[in-house]
Amino acid sequence: MVKMTGEAMTPSERLRAMAAGKPIDRLPCVPIMGNGAARVIGVRVAELRGNGPLLARAQIEAYRLFRYDTVRIFTDLFVQAEAMGAIVHCPEDETAYLRAPAIQSLDEIDRLRPADPYKDGYLPAQLEAMRIAVQEIGQEVPVTGALVGPFTNATFLRGTDAILRDIYHHPEAVHRLCQLSLETSLRYAEAMMDLGCTPSITDAMSSGSVISRKAFEEFSFPYLKKLVDFIHSRGRTVTLHICGNTNRILEGMAATGADCLSLDNAVDLAEAKRRVGDRVRLMGNVPPAEVMLEGSPADVEAAVKRCLRAAGDNPKGFIVASGCSLPTETPFANIQAMMAAVRRYGRWPIDPELLEGEGCHGVPD
Amino acid sequence: MPEEKKELLQALSDAVFNMEVERAADLARECVDAGIDPFEAIEKGLIDGINRAGVLFEEEEYFVPELLLCSDAMYAGLDVLRPHLPETSETQSGRVVLGVVEGDTHDIGKNLVKIMLEANGFEVIDLGRDVPPQQFVEKARETGAAFIGLSTLMTTTMARMEEVVNRLKEEQIREQYKVVVGGGPISQGFASRIGADGYAVNAVEAVKLFRRLQGA
Repeated sequence: MVKMTGEAMTPSERLRAMAAGKPIDRLPCVPIMGNGAARVIGVRVAELRGNGPLLARAQIEAYRLFRYDTVRIFTDLFVQAEAMGAIVHCPEDETAYLRAPAIQSLDEIDRLRPADPYKDGYLPAQLEAMRIAVQEIGQEVPVTGALVGPFTNATFLRGTDAILRDIYHHPEAVHRLCQLSLETSLRYAEAMMDLGCTPSITDAMSSGSVISRKAFEEFSFPYLKKLVDFIHSRGRTVTLHICGNTNRILEGMAATGADCLSLDNAVDLAEAKRRVGDRVRLMGNVPPAEVMLEGSPADVEAAVKRCLRAAGDNPKGFIVASGCSLPTETPFANIQAMMAAVRRYGRWPIDPELLEGEGCHGVPD
Repeated sequence: MPEEKKELLQALSDAVFNMEVERAADLARECVDAGIDPFEAIEKGLIDGINRAGVLFEEEEYFVPELLLCSDAMYAGLDVLRPHLPETSETQSGRVVLGVVEGDTHDIGKNLVKIMLEANGFEVIDLGRDVPPQQFVEKARETGAAFIGLSTLMTTTMARMEEVVNRLKEEQIREQYKVVVGGGPISQGFASRIGADGYAVNAVEAVKLFRRLQGA
């Protein structure tokens, strides 16, 4: 196999070795590429979500440019809800957003059906992108597909304000929406795995920045657990990403059985390592906006070192990553700086002295 | 304060704090019947309740659903009490044009800021979500607002905030408004870089910030 970077291991070899507790050349690094992939091949963001071959090409070329350790096929969080009837608006050159939920009142729940990933909305296009990416680069790098968590998808079906009130006034309706969303997630996950792609769960609204731990445990956890169990039953590992502040639900996230937790920059990595690091791999948490989008390459390097100091020695392994998907306009220089910093400071075994060393001085923290 | 009145105001505050919509409306009616000054009922009952909820929100005991339901109770009480308020001339210093910038429909944070600002005596002109930059500028000029509040949850739409500031500069009216920004990806560093007057991390902090800027 051609190793373009001159590195000793391919991303797949590196991640497999890490999972098996075997020696690695360096820690893996995943600047979580989103629609920035459109910038790599010079197309507009809106062209990607319904065009499998183009989406695949964007993500493949982005991987080839930066050589990070996991590829994820993702355009936005709404493809599953859209396939169930939510209305999505697609600005020409920015990330799509939810225009209207699938239902306007709880009476309409009865007409909702789980999506068919081979037919509904843009799910077939996203699957096609996954298939192409698995074929072209799946031997050297894990290809994952974004899979939206059931509770988050339920918020898109019902509308956020409404469902947050339903938590108190109509909890049984929230469960029905989560169950319908779970069925879509299970089918979509199965379709991904059937073509050799690994689902990667993203569950923005289960965040401790939005709902309490109690609400997480009642409305999010049981469905996530079923999803993780299903993915495991097919012999695959899975990463769980929840946005924002997840300090209060770290144990719950670990208890879903997910193999890796992807943590946003609102989380203290050292504390996460202390609390769940013996059970689960961690990834994170370079700030996507403040550092990756707005910062300089020196800021990126300082942030990578901070992550490595906090969790580089996590017992179950650590992946240096952005805290969330990268903003579309993240400068390429910052993504390159992230990779370079991990190649330098993340070399295994990590040299703590290097982390405290010269590069730290004069770099704003 | 007579004991009975004190108890009623406390019960009203508790109804808001405990997310009891109907009870808040009932108790507001009792306040009216008991001849309590509606201003006092709002301040020492409803606003006291939502501000207590705000404290728990900051302490991560209450979350977004809880704050939304407390605000439902607060507004239910306000609906009862407002018709009993004397006609007042609003102070322009406390007028805020608020909205989620174009390209983003996440409006929970904006709604929470609105709730807390209104509870604390600011007049909020809510432009909703997905609001083009020019609309903020026009509405602020039209209403003589003192503040423009910009919200976004998405990194992709942060640049829209800078556009608002730049338009104010282009029209040479930047100094007439205090521009406040907030939302998930926003930081003090970003606020400073785009030339905003302030950044607050959440709705409760936002009220403090607006008050500071008002005094500035």
